[in-house]
Amino acid sequence: MSPRIPRSLWIAALLTLAVVILAACAPAAAPTSAPATAAPQPSTGPAPTTASTGGQTKNIIIGFTASQTGSNNVESGKQLQGLQLWLSDVTKAGGIKLKDGTVVMPSLKFYDDESKADRVQALYTQLINQDKVDFLISPYSSGLAKSAAIISEQYGKLMITTGAADDATMEQGFKNTYQLYTPASQYLSGAIDLLGKLSPSAKKIAIVYSKDAFSTTVAQFANTYATSHGYSVVVNEGYDPSTTDFSSFINKIAAASPDAIMGGGHFADGSTFAKQLFDKKIPAQMLVLLVAPPAPTFTQIGDGAQYVIGPSQWEPQVTYSADAAKAANLPWYGISVTDFTAEFKAKYNADPSYHAAGGYMAGLLLQKAIEDTNSIDPTAIKADLDKLDLLTFYGHIKFSTDAKTHGKQIGHEMVYMQWQKDASGNFVKQIVWPLTAKTADAQLRKLP
Amino acid sequence: MKNLLNPYLWIILLVVGGISVVPILTGDASMREDLFLILMLVVLASSVNIITGYTGYVSFGNIVFFGLGGYFAFYLMQNFETNFVLAALVGGVGASIVAVLIGIPVLRLRGAYFALATIGINEAMRTFVANFDPFGGSVGMFFNYSVYNAYGGAKNALWFAYDGIVVVALATIAASFLIKKSKFGLGLLAIREDQDAAKVLGIDPARAKVIAYTFSAFFPALAGALFFFKNGIIEPDVAFDLLRSIEALVMVMLGGYGTVVGPIVGATVYERITALLITAPSITVLGVSLGFSQLHLAIAGFLLLLIVLFVTAGFVGWLRQRFPRTRRYLE
Repeated sequence: MSPRIPRSLWIAALLTLAVVILAACAPAAAPTSAPATAAPQPSTGPAPTTASTGGQTKNIIIGFTASQTGSNNVESGKQLQGLQLWLSDVTKAGGIKLKDGTVVMPSLKFYDDESKADRVQALYTQLINQDKVDFLISPYSSGLAKSAAIISEQYGKLMITTGAADDATMEQGFKNTYQLYTPASQYLSGAIDLLGKLSPSAKKIAIVYSKDAFSTTVAQFANTYATSHGYSVVVNEGYDPSTTDFSSFINKIAAASPDAIMGGGHFADGSTFAKQLFDKKIPAQMLVLLVAPPAPTFTQIGDGAQYVIGPSQWEPQVTYSADAAKAANLPWYGISVTDFTAEFKAKYNADPSYHAAGGYMAGLLLQKAIEDTNSIDPTAIKADLDKLDLLTFYGHIKFSTDAKTHGKQIGHEMVYMQWQKDASGNFVKQIVWPLTAKTADAQLRKLP
Repeated sequence: MKNLLNPYLWIILLVVGGISVVPILTGDASMREDLFLILMLVVLASSVNIITGYTGYVSFGNIVFFGLGGYFAFYLMQNFETNFVLAALVGGVGASIVAVLIGIPVLRLRGAYFALATIGINEAMRTFVANFDPFGGSVGMFFNYSVYNAYGGAKNALWFAYDGIVVVALATIAASFLIKKSKFGLGLLAIREDQDAAKVLGIDPARAKVIAYTFSAFFPALAGALFFFKNGIIEPDVAFDLLRSIEALVMVMLGGYGTVVGPIVGATVYERITALLITAPSITVLGVSLGFSQLHLAIAGFLLLLIVLFVTAGFVGWLRQRFPRTRRYLE
C-alpha cells in the first residue's frame, strides 16, 4: 500500500507548484538596462526598427556574446576591444548621422559565453527576445557562431560574424548572416601562391597541423589547393594540440625533404614546432604556420623565428588606403590603418591584432550600411550589404549573393607576414603577400 | 508497480512537469532556452547520482555517455537521414552497451581508482573520436540548416528538442526514484555502505553495479542527442568536456548526494546562479570594473567548499537531517 500523504503536505506541494509556475512566468534573467559599455544615451527599452524623421536621436542596440572566460578569452577579448573602440569613435562623432538629420546612437549589449556552446543559444534568444537588440554580432569561433546562427536565422536577425572563418557554416543558404573573415579554405592558399612565385622549382610540400577543428579544416583545403596546383604533398599528418615534442614528425619531414612546410595550429604548439625545426636544421625553403607567427612574442624563440611566415586576417602594417582603393577602382570607407592602430594603442596600450581589427570592422560595416540606407531597417541594410563592394582599413569587403553561399566573404584576402631582420639584426614584421599590401619582398628560408 | 503508484513520485513529476510546460503554453523562447539547460543538467546530475549517490562509485567521467549519445544520433541523422527520435534512442542504447562493456572491468575498481579510470575513459574516447573519420575526426560533424526542415524548420526543431528534454528529464527522475525505492536500489545502497557485507546478504555487487552504470549512461546519452541536435554541430572537445562532468557532481553534492530531489535542486540552483552571474551587469569598485561573469567559477568553487566543509549532505540532505519528519517526503 502506498504511504498516505498528510493534507498539509498536499497544500504545501500545491502552493510550491503555484509559486514556481508564477516564478517561471517571470523573465528568466533580469535584463540589464545599462549598456555593457558606456554610451551617452543607453537604450533601456525596445529599440525602434525603422528610421525616423529628421532631428531625432534613435538608439540601437548591438547584441552578442563574448568569451570573457574560457579558452577563447584572449582572442575574443581583443575582438571586443576593437568593437568598443568603434563605439567610442562613433560616440565621439556624436552618433551616426543620417541625411534627414536623425542621429543613430548605438550601444552594445553582451554576455559571457564562457567559450562554450552550452549557453550560446540561450543568450542569443535572450538578446533577441528580452533585450530587443537590433543587430547581432557573432561569438568568437566558428563552432559558437554556428550555434548562434541557428537562432539568429530563425528570428531573421541580421548577424555579422567575426572571428569565425569556417566555410561550411556559410554554405547553408543563410539569409541574414554576413561573414567578415576570409574563409578557412583560403588561409594557406596565398602561401602556396607565394611559394610558386618565390621558388618556381619547388614541388614538394609537407603539411603538419594540429588536430583541432580549425587547423584540420585549413590543412584539408591546403592539401586540395596544393595538389590542384601541381605540388606533391609528401607529408600530411595531424598532431595532438598539446604536443610538445615534434621529433617523430620532424623525422618524417626530414626524410621527405619538402620545399615548404605548412601547418601548425595555435601559439604554443606552433612556436615549439618552429623552434624544433630550426634546432634540427630542417632545410625547407619556406615555413608557414597558423596563428603563432603574427604574435609579437613569437620572436622569443630566437633565430628560429626568422623567415617564418604566418597568415593573418589583418596586420597593422597593411597598406590599404584611399589611394589603394582608387587604384583598385573601389570606394574607400572609414578610418585609416594608421589612425586605427594609433587609436587602439592609445586606448589599450598594445598593438591591435587582427581580432581587434575584425571587431572594429563589424561595427564599421553596420555603420556604413546605416549611412548608405539612411535607415535602421534590417531589410534595407541587408540589401545594402548584399551589394557592398568596398575597401576599408581592414581590406576588401564583398559578400556572396549566391543562394547557397549567401553572406560568405568573397572580397577579403589574407595577408601573410614574415619575420625578417633589419640591418641591425632586429626582428621586423613585414607584410609579404598579397603584393598590393606588401611592405617588403618575401625571403626564402636560409639556415645559418 | 507499487512504487509506480507512490504519490511522492507523482508530486515530484508534477512539479517538474508543471514548470516545464510553462514555456510551451506561453511560447516564451527565452524561458524555453533557460529551462532546456536546467533540464539537461537535471538529467546529467540525476544520472550521475545513480552510480555515485546510490552505489558510492564516484564517476568523474560520466560525460562520456553524453558525448557518445550525441555522436551516435548525429551520425545516423547526417548519414542515413534517420528520424531524430529513432536516432536518439539508438544513441541511448548504444551508449548503454558501451557502459556495460566498460563497466564489467572498470567497476571492479574501488574508490579513487574507479574515479581515475572514468576520467581516463572519457579522455580516451575523446581522443578516439578526434581520430575517427566517420565521426568527422577533430573537425566533428555539423548539420546543414536544411536538416531542420523535416521538423518544420529551425524554430519548430528547437521546440521539438525542448519537448524531448522535458520527456527525458521526467523519465530520468522517475527512473531515479523507482531505482531508489526498489529492492535493486536497496542493494545499491547496501553496496555503497559496505560492499562485502552486501555480498554476504546475497547481493551480486558486480551485476548490480553494471546495471546501475548502464542506467547512468542511457539518459545522458539521450540528453546529448537532444543537445547536439539543437546545436547543429558536434565536436570532440565539446562532447567530452570533463568540466561538465565535474559540474554535474557539484550539483549532486549541492542538492543532496543519494537523494532523488537533491540533483534536481542542485542542478537548478547551480544553473540559475551561473546564469545570473553571467548576465549580471558589471559593478565598478574604486574605478575598476568587475564583471561577475569572470567570477562565476570562483563563486561556484567557493560554494563547493562551503558544502564540503559545512553541509556535507547537500541541501536536501541537510533538510532531512535537520527536520527528521521531512525524511518521509524528501526522497
